[in-house]
Amino acid sequence: MNTYLDGRPAAPARRFSRFLVFGLVVLLGVGTLTARLFYLQIATGSEYAARSTSNRTVLEPITSPRGLILDRNGRLLVTNVPTYAVKVRPADLPNTKRDDVVARLGALLTLDPADINASIDGNPGSAFDLVRIAQDVDKSTALLISEAGSDLPGVEVTIEARRQYTDGPLMSHLLGYTGPVSAEQLPDLRALGYQPDDLLGKVGLELQYEKDLRGTYGAESVERDATGRKTQVLSTVRDAVPGASLTLTIDTQAQEDAQTALTWAMERIGMTRGVVVVMNPQTGEILAMVSLPTYDNNLFSRGISTDDFKKLLENKDKPLLNHAVQAHYAPGSTYKLVTGTGGLADDKINPGTLLTTKAYLTLGSTKFYEWNRRGWGPCNIYCGFGHSSDTFFYQVAGMLGADRLGYWANQYGFGADTGVDLPGEVSGIVPTNAWKQDALGARMYPGETYQAGIGQGYDSATPMQLINAYAALANGGTLYQPQVVRDIVGPDGAVIRPFQPRVLRQMDVKPGILRVMRNAARETVMLRHTYNLVDMPIKIAGKSGTAEFGVADAKGRLPYSSFFVGFVPKDPYNGSFDKADSELVVMAFAHDSRTVGNAATEIVKYFFQLHFDIQKDYRLPNLLERGNFYSND
Amino acid sequence: MGVIRAQPARVTDWAAKSVGTAWRAFDMQLVTYAALLAATGLVMAYTNSVESGGTPLEVGTTFTRGLMWAGLAVIAFIIATAFDYRWLKTFAWPVYAIQSGLLILTLLIGDGVGGSARWISVGPLTFQFSELAKILMIIVLANYLSSHQAKLDSLSTILGACLLVGPPLVLVMLQPDLGTSMVFAAILAGMLWMSGASLKWLTALAAGLVAMVPIAWTSILRDYQKERLAAFLSTDKDIQGAGYQLHQAQIAIGSGGWMGKGLTNGTQAQGDFLPVQTTDFVFAILAEELGFVGAMVLFGLFILLLWRVLVAGWRSRDPFGTMFAAGLGAMILFQLVVNVGMVIGIMPITGIPLPFVTHGGSSLVSMALGLGILQSINIRQTRKEW
Repeated sequence: MNTYLDGRPAAPARRFSRFLVFGLVVLLGVGTLTARLFYLQIATGSEYAARSTSNRTVLEPITSPRGLILDRNGRLLVTNVPTYAVKVRPADLPNTKRDDVVARLGALLTLDPADINASIDGNPGSAFDLVRIAQDVDKSTALLISEAGSDLPGVEVTIEARRQYTDGPLMSHLLGYTGPVSAEQLPDLRALGYQPDDLLGKVGLELQYEKDLRGTYGAESVERDATGRKTQVLSTVRDAVPGASLTLTIDTQAQEDAQTALTWAMERIGMTRGVVVVMNPQTGEILAMVSLPTYDNNLFSRGISTDDFKKLLENKDKPLLNHAVQAHYAPGSTYKLVTGTGGLADDKINPGTLLTTKAYLTLGSTKFYEWNRRGWGPCNIYCGFGHSSDTFFYQVAGMLGADRLGYWANQYGFGADTGVDLPGEVSGIVPTNAWKQDALGARMYPGETYQAGIGQGYDSATPMQLINAYAALANGGTLYQPQVVRDIVGPDGAVIRPFQPRVLRQMDVKPGILRVMRNAARETVMLRHTYNLVDMPIKIAGKSGTAEFGVADAKGRLPYSSFFVGFVPKDPYNGSFDKADSELVVMAFAHDSRTVGNAATEIVKYFFQLHFDIQKDYRLPNLLERGNFYSND
Repeated sequence: MGVIRAQPARVTDWAAKSVGTAWRAFDMQLVTYAALLAATGLVMAYTNSVESGGTPLEVGTTFTRGLMWAGLAVIAFIIATAFDYRWLKTFAWPVYAIQSGLLILTLLIGDGVGGSARWISVGPLTFQFSELAKILMIIVLANYLSSHQAKLDSLSTILGACLLVGPPLVLVMLQPDLGTSMVFAAILAGMLWMSGASLKWLTALAAGLVAMVPIAWTSILRDYQKERLAAFLSTDKDIQGAGYQLHQAQIAIGSGGWMGKGLTNGTQAQGDFLPVQTTDFVFAILAEELGFVGAMVLFGLFILLLWRVLVAGWRSRDPFGTMFAAGLGAMILFQLVVNVGMVIGIMPITGIPLPFVTHGGSSLVSMALGLGILQSINIRQTRKEW
């Protein structure tokens, strides 16, 4: 025993058993660690090795250039412009810094922080997917943001292609625009290879032909670090296939002429809504389609601000709507084409049949007035159609009955989609007994059939259906599906899908009857029902229409819109309407025009003038004075 | 107070011995193993600096700062070795006061992540005094237990030891640093065990601690600590939240295989998938880059080191030396098992460093200080029984 240390008794501290147990605890502890390590590294090591690889390599999409859109003459209507986009990966944006980052982004991008927060919160993908905050950011701002790095965690600047629409508002309703994938769309689109931050067609042709325009995204294997930054591209797994291009049936010149004519009349009248459609009746090709008011689709492809979007939505004339196909209106007297054709085809009348036109017809106790409150005495179809006699067509409609009238409306394509290759088409209403039973629970009253015979009452049609019906008249009885896209052209320039006229139906009518109706339409012009249209050097046949709508004013007068559909023979100067060779039908719709004369006729007249480069000005501006009475049916 | 009177005699006594005798008692193996472990830490710091894309030898990298701390650790070791440990017994109570003072100071002016107060910055250097406090705690406890040799069977001695550990443990827990406070408990347990304290009372104490667990969960643990514990209990459920580190660490380790991917080739480290890779999770990088074999070498070094620590305790004729070795050994073992256990997913996540290897100056210098005191104990014993 050692008493070396300050005289105390020797320590009993060293107990071998306690040392032994301590040593065993050391071995047990390290042994446990070793066992677990062996399990991780050796027993299941290969699985972890694979996870390590998948951890750092990821398949990333290679975007494909979106297809171009050209007019029928090869003019580029849209191009792809590389722009900077600012995106946020929410997972990399710490919650504690979010307000600060959003505020700084707002200041840099001159965006409302609330909008930025809305974008982040509306993220359709997961927190690890990029969310687009701003598109089309100018270069200096983009550089500033991309260099901010750790000051703006989770913020990334990417280069993406923006759609630049050459003519903006002129073609907006046709072309539509692209926009970000929405949260509702994403689940379905994921399966098709779309990314949460993808742009895709939202309306118009961009939407209709999305599949063709988009092309096929490629894929590359990319090495990334934990923050998701690309460190290097390892290999291209699949090349991207550029989208196909569209050649339209639209002629930019005709489109401009149509817009010029419509704008002129609208400004003159102080009217706020109108449509002009120009079509080749031999093929169903749409040459021009203008719906006013319009909007600039470049606003959308740049990322429209909430304010701008709200303004467009709140406008009572619905500029975002293509009124040619997405809205339907009472067609008015233009519909007498259906009644006349039906009367002749069902042998209710023949071209020589005279019906008495007078101030009004009486049905029970109700008076059905002639539009001029006089009538023209005994009239045949030429006289009746030419003067647009209401009492003539009340009688024919009465002879046909609602169902046969509906049958002939269907023959002309009313009551069904025309199938035009634009999204959101509506089909209008053709009133029949079955329709009314279904919709209102009663059969058609005779008076309602009278109204239906002159394009009032329950009748409702889109401007597109109306022009398509007259196209069938002009071409001798073939109802085509109107088309806006001519050819679909592959990225290599080869035509993938050449233009093919598509026939909806051959009408159930003898050619001779349609010849009568074409000449009756010519009679409208010849009788000066359309004023000086007859004086023009080209031969025009057509039909005007006026349709009341809405709520009567203090004097019991309803506001009204006017229509005119006109067509010319293949040789507009010397041709004849005996032939069904017309290659040009033009339709104008002037909503709530309330003019002294038929505003739509003036619009079509002006279009023809521009289109055929007629130097003399036949326009009659005084007809476009506002006058709230039923003057010129 | 006879102790104080006796001290000067022994200093003279030691000075009379030849330096050669002292050096024979100096444990070269202990130093070698510790140096190899510290070198491993430096290698990991180097590989990390390379992976971060920098030149590792530049000023301010993890590696150069590691070198600087290693230099400071060597100085601390030499001074502690040269210093006669017996003075520590004399100054045990001032040491305790200093320890408590440093921990209070840390709470008052310390910095840390997310509102915690764990270290004090002085210029470019940061000091985590809780690391030093662990060594000081061992000194205080060793003094207490060695001076109560005769009464080790009594409950009062055990409770007295607990009372000594209590204040620093609570101060550290307030920072909050649950891990380090657990180290204090481990030190106490190891030293009580080795002191030869009554098994009956030790068992009772252990049972009491187990009973405390529900109370700790409801009133002591903070939310993030509970999250980590919950993440530990269900590693694969929440791989993006609290379990992320753990998930990535296990991928790193698992993908290392037998031989590892080679230094600087760890993809988990390179891609920054693994957070805090040079500090608490350094073992994950080691296992990824050096593999199972490398990890075994590391474990081997720790076992050898602990063996030499126990040998030093066994050799010591002075109960203080035995107690000090026990405390140091318990601390190293506990930190090894908890840190590596955490990284490989069998222990909850706590901020406990891997001794010598984890990059962190305070930890390394404190360990060097501890080993220096142990060497001081080694070379100041007669070697009759060994």
